[in-house]
Amino acid sequence: MSTSFAAAVLTNSVLSGTSLLYATLGELVGERAGIVNLGLEGIMLIGASAGFAAAAVTDDPYLGVLAAGIAGTAANLLFGYVVIVRRANQLAAGLTLMFFGLGASALIGRPFVGAIVPGLPGLGMSVLGIESLGEFDLLVWLAAPVAVLLWCLIFRTSWGLGLRATGEDPTVAFASGRSPEVLRFQALALGGFLGAIGGAHLSLALALTWDEGMTAGRGFIAIALVIFARWNPLWAVPAALVFGGAEALQLQLQARGTAVSPFLMTMIPYLLTLLILVFWGWNRRSAAPASLGRSFYGVE
Amino acid sequence: MPPGTMRSRTMRFSTMRLRLLIPVSLLLLAALPPAGQMASAQTTLTVGAIYVGSVNDYGYNRAMKDGLEAMKAAIPGTKLLQAENVPETAESERVMEGMIQQGAKLIFATSFGHQQFAFNLAQKHPDVFFEHAGGWMQAPNFGNFFGATQAAWYPMGVAAGKMTKSNTLGFVAGVPIGYVIGNINAFALGARSVNPKAEVRVVVTGGWSDKAKEAAAANALIDQGADVVTMHVDSPATVIQTAERRGVYSIGFQSIAARQLAPKFWVTGLGFTWGPFMTATAKSVIAGAFKPGMVREGLGEMITVAPFGPAVPAATRALVTAAADKVEKGYNPFTGPVTDNTGVVRIKEGESWGGDKMGSFDWYVEGVIGKPK
Repeated sequence: MSTSFAAAVLTNSVLSGTSLLYATLGELVGERAGIVNLGLEGIMLIGASAGFAAAAVTDDPYLGVLAAGIAGTAANLLFGYVVIVRRANQLAAGLTLMFFGLGASALIGRPFVGAIVPGLPGLGMSVLGIESLGEFDLLVWLAAPVAVLLWCLIFRTSWGLGLRATGEDPTVAFASGRSPEVLRFQALALGGFLGAIGGAHLSLALALTWDEGMTAGRGFIAIALVIFARWNPLWAVPAALVFGGAEALQLQLQARGTAVSPFLMTMIPYLLTLLILVFWGWNRRSAAPASLGRSFYGVE
Repeated sequence: MPPGTMRSRTMRFSTMRLRLLIPVSLLLLAALPPAGQMASAQTTLTVGAIYVGSVNDYGYNRAMKDGLEAMKAAIPGTKLLQAENVPETAESERVMEGMIQQGAKLIFATSFGHQQFAFNLAQKHPDVFFEHAGGWMQAPNFGNFFGATQAAWYPMGVAAGKMTKSNTLGFVAGVPIGYVIGNINAFALGARSVNPKAEVRVVVTGGWSDKAKEAAAANALIDQGADVVTMHVDSPATVIQTAERRGVYSIGFQSIAARQLAPKFWVTGLGFTWGPFMTATAKSVIAGAFKPGMVREGLGEMITVAPFGPAVPAATRALVTAAADKVEKGYNPFTGPVTDNTGVVRIKEGESWGGDKMGSFDWYVEGVIGKPK
């Protein structure tokens, strides 16, 4: 039942890339409003544990995903209060959120370690016409459409215009009759929802277990992916695929029995992150929202 | 607030408490065991245990907890103090110190990285006894223990070799240290003893507990044709559940409780059974005869073969049981000639590897596909 190597790599790139894509989109929408959230890893963890816990209690993985989104939104709004209302430094507050998420997710997930939950079921269609490959669940199918939807929201709606204005120069958004604070809160609520769903995909579709710290740095990779995607939701799709692909490729190469050191292969995704930041990083100046990381102090 | 109000409030509170206390104590009295059982209900020994993860992991920590529960059941009056998710840092020293303050006289430090911290406390508290899992340090009140897993993997290989149709076996490994490579090697030797065409594919995840990657690793092995997968990571839960979902056989490791996760495609597995050792150690502490040692025991002692899954035919069960018996009686799969997967003879005719050598593998036996480093 050995399937074609390329098909296997592609399928697993999509599977590994899905949680990264949701997380990247979650970070991206916040950054478009001018807020850097280094706590994404914590948001993902909260999503992974809250989603797993809810799925264990209700026996329904979809309710788990919903619960994850709500928990992520709540945590991100808390972050919003700190950086928007209290105007705390975003980088410091973000790192604090990361540790908060680490602890809170451990607390939420603790009673559910070892619980057996129904995972997100594969949805009917076999991938690439190959029966033996794992089937994609709802979150996988929805990932790219969500990216397109988010692109429309940011670039084709009045709300998106206000959001981008807030990210570039909040005073302009303010002058046009919008509230930068409200827009930023809205962006963070949406971002928290998406980021947490990224975490829930790990616990509810891939691992089928909850484990403390199970996101293993994927939240930080997603922050790097926002730069790679040039703050554009459409670009986030190939970005997440490339990184999901790096992990899938190295594991498939090992499974195939390729005579390359496993130590070298486990490095591939991180090496790729570094390389892309080196060769792509210069775009930061041209594409990054101009007010990224700055608090809005109102207009005189 | 004037002091008067405060006092009256406290008084009101204490009378309320008193009123509550009377029926509660009556209830307690009724619940007390009859006088004859009173003596056995006294604490004979307080035992402390620290775990690096959660005891509900279907893996390493679960096996440790099961061992301690067996000890508690075997010695009436044992009190068990437990702490989960204790990191391998100075934090563990504080947790164990707290247990000693609560009267613990015997402490099981169950993760490798707890060793130095437990040892520090052993120096500080010569009247408290320590057992550490997997280390090497020794003191009059400090011993260590672990399962000699390598040879035990041989019958697992026999099971996999008989169950496979594709002749491809998948092994998810956390970190390819010598002991893990030894496990993989014995697994491959066992498989090829019954099925010379069988080959073992190894995927290294790079950590002991990265669940999403373990799922992807298991998927990769299955995509590349493996129809029996097994693993050496902290918790077998993810790999076993991934295999079950894909309709592929799995073989467990660490705790035999893992079979609950795969009602259909579970083959068998190895689980640590620490109960008898922990019971004997606790008894020796009660008797005042604790002997520190470097205890390493294999199949039949600290390691047990898990029950078979429903898909395993009777003939295969008999073969696996026979192989396990053979290992229990002292058969060493690492008896020469053993060739590595590049064709070099690593263990010569007439030689055999055991003991400390099990940790020094940096080569895969013939039949394992991949590079160890």
